[in-house]
Amino acid sequence: MSSSGKGMTITVGEGSCGIAAGAREIRELLVQRFPEAEFRTVSCLGMCHQEPMVEIANSDGKSYLWGQVNKKNLPKIVRFHRGETEIPEKNFIRSSEQPATDKAQYLQRQHRIALRNVGHLDPTSLDQARARGGYSAITRILQGGMSPEDVIEQAKISNLRGRGGAGFPTATKWGFARGAPGYPKYLICNGDEGDPGAFMDRSLLEGDPHTVLEGMLIAAYAIGASKGYAYIRAEYPLAVDYFGRALVAARQAGLLGDNILGSGFSFDIKIKEGAGAFVCGEETALMASIEGQRGMPRIRPPFPAIEGLFGKPTIINNVETLANLAWIINNGGAAYAAIGTEKSKGTKVFALAGAVARGGLVEVPMGMTVRQVIYDIGGGSASGRPLKGVQLGGPSGGCIPEALFDTLIEYEAINATGAIMGSGGMVVLDSKSCMVDIARYFLEFTQLESCGKCTFCRLGTLRMKELLNKICAGEGTMADIEALERLAPQVKEASLCGLGQTAPNPVLTTLKYFRDEYIAHVEEKRCPGGVCKALITHAIDQSVCTGCSICERYCPVNCITGEKQKGHTWVIDQSVCINCGMCAEVCNPEAVKVQ
Amino acid sequence: MSKESLEAKESLEATVDPALVRKWIEEIGSDSSAAVPLLQAIQREYRYLPRPAMDLVVNQTDITASQLFGVATFYAQFRLKPVGRHLIKVCHGTACHVSGADRVDTALHQILGITDPGEDTASNGSYTVEKVACIGCCSLAPVMLVGDEAVPHLKGADAQRFLQKHARKNQELLPGERKEAGEAIQ
Repeated sequence: MSSSGKGMTITVGEGSCGIAAGAREIRELLVQRFPEAEFRTVSCLGMCHQEPMVEIANSDGKSYLWGQVNKKNLPKIVRFHRGETEIPEKNFIRSSEQPATDKAQYLQRQHRIALRNVGHLDPTSLDQARARGGYSAITRILQGGMSPEDVIEQAKISNLRGRGGAGFPTATKWGFARGAPGYPKYLICNGDEGDPGAFMDRSLLEGDPHTVLEGMLIAAYAIGASKGYAYIRAEYPLAVDYFGRALVAARQAGLLGDNILGSGFSFDIKIKEGAGAFVCGEETALMASIEGQRGMPRIRPPFPAIEGLFGKPTIINNVETLANLAWIINNGGAAYAAIGTEKSKGTKVFALAGAVARGGLVEVPMGMTVRQVIYDIGGGSASGRPLKGVQLGGPSGGCIPEALFDTLIEYEAINATGAIMGSGGMVVLDSKSCMVDIARYFLEFTQLESCGKCTFCRLGTLRMKELLNKICAGEGTMADIEALERLAPQVKEASLCGLGQTAPNPVLTTLKYFRDEYIAHVEEKRCPGGVCKALITHAIDQSVCTGCSICERYCPVNCITGEKQKGHTWVIDQSVCINCGMCAEVCNPEAVKVQ
Repeated sequence: MSKESLEAKESLEATVDPALVRKWIEEIGSDSSAAVPLLQAIQREYRYLPRPAMDLVVNQTDITASQLFGVATFYAQFRLKPVGRHLIKVCHGTACHVSGADRVDTALHQILGITDPGEDTASNGSYTVEKVACIGCCSLAPVMLVGDEAVPHLKGADAQRFLQKHARKNQELLPGERKEAGEAIQ
């Protein structure tokens, strides 16, 4: 084995998560150890819990995937590749030689269509994208004589539904715009992923921009659009950068711009950076934003497909929807429709996070159960504490309890629980989460993000938030819970757009499934999750305390006192304590108890 | 310690270069759809929206003052107040919220000596702490961004330790720092 790395290929995952976890530093260290190896940079493979990840292929072709690599364990991995030590099991995920570990289940249980290239190529390389089949679908369409109607037909057969949340059939939407008079027509890629807890659009734009770009070409051809916008959150700088580079490369290769591939079809794309407004995920608000206005929705009809951006027919498709299109053209709509349940076809990408052991990006066939995603792929609870529910669909979605984990992943089944598929945020909650606090958290978010146009959304969400604050502060009454239940349907009905129409969902679902927690807050003045500051106390268990005094150092209000090294002397002054919980976090023997 | 780091916050106000603003208008456009990208260009340069730059846009384009101010106050990205020399964004996405983003916030405000709830910048102009909705690194929760650097899996105490190191490296003073805490870092 060459110790200089000659003949080796080292691939480092450098998506946003990987970089945040220290991937660049690891790559630099590997360059020092193996100066002659060939280095490749790829985007995130979606195993965020294993970041930073490195794949090292020896000169003999044997390759190994390593996870959670850091400065401390890197030397062991290096020695292994020099043939000096046994395999470091702790970081080992899979290899071309050994049977895959349990950790690799995470990938093996998935079915990747939209994410098919993410983590496997350098997102800045058009050549690598083409080597993995990039632009073969648009070539087939333009040079193989497929008409726009043929493309719409394939989308119709595939039964692809909008992945942004609402689940409207993509082909139907396209059909409206195709038939609408007006020139030019616009195609917009909606990458304004504003839901807290969702990052699938970021990963796609960052990890495989050419697939999204090709999806835009296909959609534009289907509806007859000549101008496109990619509306991407400014908070995703890497996504904006890589998508911008993809545009330049595609233009140079004749895949974008005038007379694409000599077919006479012309289409070009501009990037618009979203400036941070959740409501701009709504179609008409997004268009207002591109027009330079405040992102406020307007009444539909007229629908954007008839009268959209600058008054012209416009289609807005979500990033994930677009990422499925090339696959559908290449494999046929029927192949896509063969996956999934009767009404929900294909796959869905979820951002799995929260109290789960293996979080990250997960693409699964429709019809899998929530339980399979959380346990088989996600590995169950991270802390060992029992899981009590999962939040689906972000601020527009809801919380479903553990008892309903066998719900199928399909639009209808999830809607029946009161949650929504949404864009695919899946935040797992364990027994240390407070469901009232979760409801309050989302209401605070939607209330801040309400554009203020509709009274019930502007003020109704504020009143709901006030009621929830009151309950979390231990000042709530049963009448407050009834008031929430009265107000929620009114906000839903009297709001113009999806933001207000769905804002009460987190409250309604938690009231439905976790009512006992609300009652505990109101009647017993107790927070079962130990989260709501007004209802908990922090106290030191002196029989466990070692007197190390670290809590004293980090207490922001100086309310902890005692004698060093004398555990039995330490107390928290309850009249000053703000229950921030910093002491409990730093206490090694876990002597700080929350009650 | 550099003299600069001891200066008061007033010095954070930017001096606007009119030629730059004119250049952006030429590049981006002067019709009403240019409002958002123009504000983004201004903020990219000055890290907030200085009033003189906004006045120049209003005077030299078709964008009205009410549209420009309306847009500037609608979107979360824009800020009208100067920002500290270093910007910290604390993620308050769902995953970060349930895993303790609040404690990170409390810890940062404490070490920066920011007590007024309406204030987000330390009195010496060193750091600004902003809440952001979600930066999409949910598996690393709770997370903060210090400049461009993401700092994952934070406890409140980790956030303070990181900031102490960062401050030493950048020759900044932390107004709320306690001496004992400083000793414990070594």
